Amino acid sequence: MSTPSAVAQRSLYWPVQWSRNRGLFGLFVVVVGFLLLYAYLFPGFLSVSGVAKFTQSWFPLALVAMAQAILMLTGGISLAIGPLVSLGAVVAATTMTGPPGALGGIAAVALTGLGIGAVSGVIVVRLRLPAIVVTLAAAFIIGGVALLILPRPGGAIPLWFSELLAGNMPVALGVLVVIALLWKVYLATPLGLSLYAAGENPVGAYRSGVPVDAARIVAYAISGLLCTLAGLFVAAQTGSGDPVIGNAFTLNSIAAAVLGGVGFLGGRGTMRGALAGSLLLSLMISVMFFLGFSPVAQYVAQGLIIIGAVALPEIRRWRTVV
Amino acid sequence: MKKRTSLWATAGVFCLGVLTTVGFSVQANAAAKCITGDRKPPYTLGWANIYSVPTWMKQTEGTITSMVEELKKEGLVDELVITDAQGDANTQIQQIQSMIDADVDAILLIAGSSTAPARVIEAACAKGIAVINFDSLVDTDQVTAKINTDSNKWGDTAAKWLIEQLGGKGKILVLNGPAGVSVSEDRRAGANEALAANPGIEILAETNTAYNVAPAQEAVTSLLFAHPEIDGVLSLGGALSAGAILAMDKQGRPMVPITGENARQFLELWKDKGLTSWATMQPNWLGALAAYAAVKALQGEDVPAFIEVPLPIIDNSNIDEYLARAADFPADGYIYSPYDQKLFDELIAQ
Repeated sequence: MSTPSAVAQRSLYWPVQWSRNRGLFGLFVVVVGFLLLYAYLFPGFLSVSGVAKFTQSWFPLALVAMAQAILMLTGGISLAIGPLVSLGAVVAATTMTGPPGALGGIAAVALTGLGIGAVSGVIVVRLRLPAIVVTLAAAFIIGGVALLILPRPGGAIPLWFSELLAGNMPVALGVLVVIALLWKVYLATPLGLSLYAAGENPVGAYRSGVPVDAARIVAYAISGLLCTLAGLFVAAQTGSGDPVIGNAFTLNSIAAAVLGGVGFLGGRGTMRGALAGSLLLSLMISVMFFLGFSPVAQYVAQGLIIIGAVALPEIRRWRTVV
Repeated sequence: MKKRTSLWATAGVFCLGVLTTVGFSVQANAAAKCITGDRKPPYTLGWANIYSVPTWMKQTEGTITSMVEELKKEGLVDELVITDAQGDANTQIQQIQSMIDADVDAILLIAGSSTAPARVIEAACAKGIAVINFDSLVDTDQVTAKINTDSNKWGDTAAKWLIEQLGGKGKILVLNGPAGVSVSEDRRAGANEALAANPGIEILAETNTAYNVAPAQEAVTSLLFAHPEIDGVLSLGGALSAGAILAMDKQGRPMVPITGENARQFLELWKDKGLTSWATMQPNWLGALAAYAAVKALQGEDVPAFIEVPLPIIDNSNIDEYLARAADFPADGYIYSPYDQKLFDELIAQ
């Protein structure tokens, strides 16, 4: 998708961005609609602490959606997202108040994610094994390790850290903005540029001199890092560690990425789409509460909204074709 | 109702005064934790459930809604809001936050994690929302009351019964609920002491499955292939016991002593196959009791920080009492003992 020639790239930038956005138009409309609806139903949302509390609910899902999307862009997938979140939370809760200290704990969390991500990346890429099998096996191993470190919920997070990330100020939103900007910066680096190429047409990209393997392995490492950071946040938010807290994130990360228009076959999709997808999933929970939907009605509504958000651009396209 | 309540309160205060000291009776009038006293009936109750699909949860929801109907007639409650976190502790936190935002008067909680909801629950308590935590408990004391049976005692009593049945010697399987979940871990931990004291008991294998028949049956089936000789099954959940019996029956294995819970399927299989077994009960009406206790606390009455609900024993001598009422319960449900407000008053006053 991105042409190696620098001159052509400049002139292609906006058309490419536009073509990527077009499929997301429906999703963006639905997300904005839900934001407005939520603010109408719960005016307290439009306060500093309201925004803070909501983004805290959204934040871990946003991170795992990015973690899944970056892999799907390279044509991979991970079924180990949830257990990695759990492991991140468990490592944080067992180290931050111990001898390593808060900073040492954060470093341990980050290294765990980077390390596990890189190793699974190497296995998938170098040994040419299917990502779905490798990450499924990794999910069992990582989940088991989390249970070994912390057999039952416990551990602790320094109170100041919890208050900082998950207090009444929207610090989490700020962190998310920083991460999104870092993603933009990464996309401008050679490895970042290779990401889409490696996903869409790996053979062609390889023949053109794109470091396909390196791009994919680094994608796994970054993905792992994002997962354990999500775990770190969950630990801060809850003030403790739980070895199974992340389980639901595996499926939700895929749902958010797919909802955000990220394709399973690689090279298709955007991070902003994945973020919007995760935002919609998170918003739905709060909005449906305030609409007073019963749990059963929520299941149905959730499915309809997801289909609606995905189908909207397709319907527009179909009409223009006819 | 008002009159009856005050009568009970007076009686309660009187008994406590007689039994203990004057200081105690003063405490009996003090408002419970998280109660600011500025919330007036009718109250809005929120039930933050972790998942609503299993039959045990549906039955629990049934006891809550019927109790809420009673309280509505008395003019004490006007609305019950129910959320379902679909098993995700993170979603549950978000839903509890929504309940705080909507300013409900009380939150009833079955926690999806023993640690995760602690901070958001503390926030609710600080806002004067009565928090009643039952069944799956949270590690925080910033709640109005916790209601539960004793999971440790559950495991301990079950293990002791099985050891006695086996005469202190034999090979057993241990069936647990999901790993990393407090209820499951606590029941297992409770069994440890008795097992350690009886070295003649050999644990062949342990399983961790969801509290459902199918996965337990599957797990036990594969264990049966590996272990031709099994003398007993220490099952720490009702549906697990039913799964184990079905697995053994399918392979034509002799029935062995097995522990369990008041799951209808287990009790019926027990009777049907002529087993010698033991079961206890995690009553579904813990939910109704939570709703009732929330309203009592909001009305300024004293509610203890922990309400321990006793574990009954079901064995071959009284299983028929339970099975006689089986038709009133779903086929894959739990046959719980009868309850009423009088029983709840006694439990709260204990």
